Amino acid sequence: MNFTKIENSRVGECYYRMKHKSGLTIIVYPKENFRSVYASVGTKFGSINSKFKYKGREINVPDGTAHYLEHKLFESEDGDAFSKYAKTGASANAYTSFDVTCYLFSCTENFGESLKILLDLVQSPYFTEETVAKEQGIIGQEIKMYEDSADWKVMMNLLQGMYKNHPINIDIAGSVETIADITPEILYNCYKSYYNLNNMVMCVAGNASPDEVIEIADSVLKENEEFKTESIFPNEPYEVVTHYTEQVLPVAVPMFELGFKEKAPEHFASNKELIGTNIILEAFAGEGSALYRELLDKGLINSGFGTEYLEGMGYRGIIFSGETRNPNAVAEIIRKRTKELHENGISPKDFEIAKRCIYGKLISGFDHPSSIASEIINGEFTGRKIFESMEDIAVLTCDDVNERLKEQLDPENSCLSVVKGTDD
Amino acid sequence: MSDFERKEICEGVTFTSITDGRFKRGRMGAALLSPLESKTAAANALLSCVLTRSCKRYPDFTALSRRLEELYSAALYPSVRRIGDYQAVILSVSGIEDKYTLDGESISTELAELLCSIMFDPNITDGHFSEEDVEQERRQLIENIDAEFNDKRTYAINRCIEIMCENEPFSIGRYGKKEDVEKLTLDDIYNAWKNLLDNSKAELTMLGSTEPSNVYEKFKKYFENKPRKTESKSIVIDKVDKVKRISEKEDVVQSKLVMGFRCMYPQDKQKCIASSLMSAILGGTPTSKLFSNVREKQSLCYYCASRVDNEKGILIVDSGVENKNTEKTEKAVMEQIRELADGNISDDELNSAKLVLKNAYISSLDSLAAIQSFYIGRMNRSDILTPIEAAEIVDTVTKDDIIELARYIKLDTVFSVIGN
Repeated sequence: MNFTKIENSRVGECYYRMKHKSGLTIIVYPKENFRSVYASVGTKFGSINSKFKYKGREINVPDGTAHYLEHKLFESEDGDAFSKYAKTGASANAYTSFDVTCYLFSCTENFGESLKILLDLVQSPYFTEETVAKEQGIIGQEIKMYEDSADWKVMMNLLQGMYKNHPINIDIAGSVETIADITPEILYNCYKSYYNLNNMVMCVAGNASPDEVIEIADSVLKENEEFKTESIFPNEPYEVVTHYTEQVLPVAVPMFELGFKEKAPEHFASNKELIGTNIILEAFAGEGSALYRELLDKGLINSGFGTEYLEGMGYRGIIFSGETRNPNAVAEIIRKRTKELHENGISPKDFEIAKRCIYGKLISGFDHPSSIASEIINGEFTGRKIFESMEDIAVLTCDDVNERLKEQLDPENSCLSVVKGTDD
Repeated sequence: MSDFERKEICEGVTFTSITDGRFKRGRMGAALLSPLESKTAAANALLSCVLTRSCKRYPDFTALSRRLEELYSAALYPSVRRIGDYQAVILSVSGIEDKYTLDGESISTELAELLCSIMFDPNITDGHFSEEDVEQERRQLIENIDAEFNDKRTYAINRCIEIMCENEPFSIGRYGKKEDVEKLTLDDIYNAWKNLLDNSKAELTMLGSTEPSNVYEKFKKYFENKPRKTESKSIVIDKVDKVKRISEKEDVVQSKLVMGFRCMYPQDKQKCIASSLMSAILGGTPTSKLFSNVREKQSLCYYCASRVDNEKGILIVDSGVENKNTEKTEKAVMEQIRELADGNISDDELNSAKLVLKNAYISSLDSLAAIQSFYIGRMNRSDILTPIEAAEIVDTVTKDDIIELARYIKLDTVFSVIGN
């Protein structure tokens, strides 16, 4: 067994990592005395990977292909994975995001059997004209459900207002028209390019040991030829497309998202950068901040107000979101306060409080095997190590954070997206 | 692994502690149960927000929020939950365990004191809560009630229940009604506070590695010698004369169909588990009757799921459908319920639902929030049930138990949101 043990005394935990001979990177993160185990296999293939080079050949796929493939992979020649999981009792699922697709389950018994089903699922594609056509109805319904979802629309409209060329501006599931063009051949091409085990990571967290995982991995994983698929992204200008976008939907309280676009280099943000941003957002817009109080006192936000950092290959941006009766007033205040923030920086006292808050949130994440697994899988794809963030934050200074701030929250480069009712 | 202790402070006030060193974050809370009534429901909901906004020690929202941030992202949350015809106001605090702080400070004592401060020593002057606090929270609560309309799936379910239980307290909803929230006075809030603390059945929980006796003593000091009524019965209806049908038009792409059924009120824990299992077989798993027949085989909808409310004796089936398929879907759902009542349940269906349910009960032990929620959900009942025991009972349920429960199911209300 060639596992490397990675420990951290601050968290008081450890995990085991190896590159399996099949090509799959395997991580086992035991949680002592936990009853359940959570296993997830991910590939660095999401909705934004619609253009890529496979063995020298350039391939373009229809919008929504990654998500469609996720649905179809559940079927193999000998039946669908859900009925197999039904015999083991595992609770199984899968999701496609902008940049990854993950297949997962959690269980409290029959772990070995379920793990076999999971590894078999990602290794046995079975797409025929008939099975591919059958999925159009269900995915079409899923797309329609998202068209009615105000929180989803307010975000997608924002991304379209922020990004001109980058495929982050396209709906993850595509549209009813684009998925009509998906064929078995397209799915096989994507599968060969991105579901090569060298492009994938598995993380098992919870009540499991490295020994039992490796035994099953050895028995079911087939060796994959090593190669890299190269995703191609268009050039994206620094500026947002528009400063305002809106849509009318049946909502009782208007929803808004205000996004600040920033420069996105051709690599992922580091742990230190992410923590810096989280501290900035906590100090600037957290519940204890002057901005939060101002918006609250003016009756402009409620407890649903929040912030998020959206970051990936070729896109980076900070998003403020919530429900409000007056989206324009909220946006105006936030933009004005970001200007002041750049002039004054974050004070040492605010920094200290925000740092402790973010530290507490990071450490709390280790209570949940599901968040550990997704952090680890994302980390493998982005080069970020889960324990390192705990060390990075411990030594982070106020100056570091103010330096980071210079690249963020440019008040001239933001877009406001609003979803409102017919009467608003 | 963990020590479970349950003590009665006085009649109607129970303290449960689970000492468990596995977690990075500890959690304690108080759930206070009172009958659902239009006016008090609104007052209690608003009170729960006002209480967690400030207290005597931290009379200002920003000062309190900053203190929580400084305590390593400690959180103070109000929540309200409907348990049968009763409303539970739940005040919780959570924070990281002392051993994980950066410079070794102890925050658990501070958190216990904070919870007691907000409950017993709120920001009251001359018998009134701060008007500013109340107005701020009133506006936000009204926005929260309004915003339930924004998510059409939740809205449709809530609306179906409202129509179905029109003449029962259950229709009031966990936040009370918007009109009542608008009318509440400062006196109403103060009275709600007094009443909740002195007359409600209380379930106090302490979960994590903190020594429970400190917290226990604090609660005991207040609650001791203040017994309260423990009897609590919800209205259970077992006769349906005519199915109610209401449909609303909205500018939505996907229509929603919600069917509300009356079912047997499970008297004991054995029956409760059987009832949950029945719902799992019908529409609680990806291989359930509804999912595999109505969604997969007939492609009638994107989702079709069932959930049972054992505290009220109702079952809800909800689905997202295309306009033209609403009638077909309704028929298909009724057909699956008939199958269940006729005993057309394969061993595979029964066993896989059992596995899923057991998995859910046992998994809840890995999350303090889930453990807390499990106990609060049963606070209307006198028999004690642990998640492990619940999982053991699942194995003893027979096909005949399911058939008996399924035969009892009666359609009461069909509500739909129809797209243009």
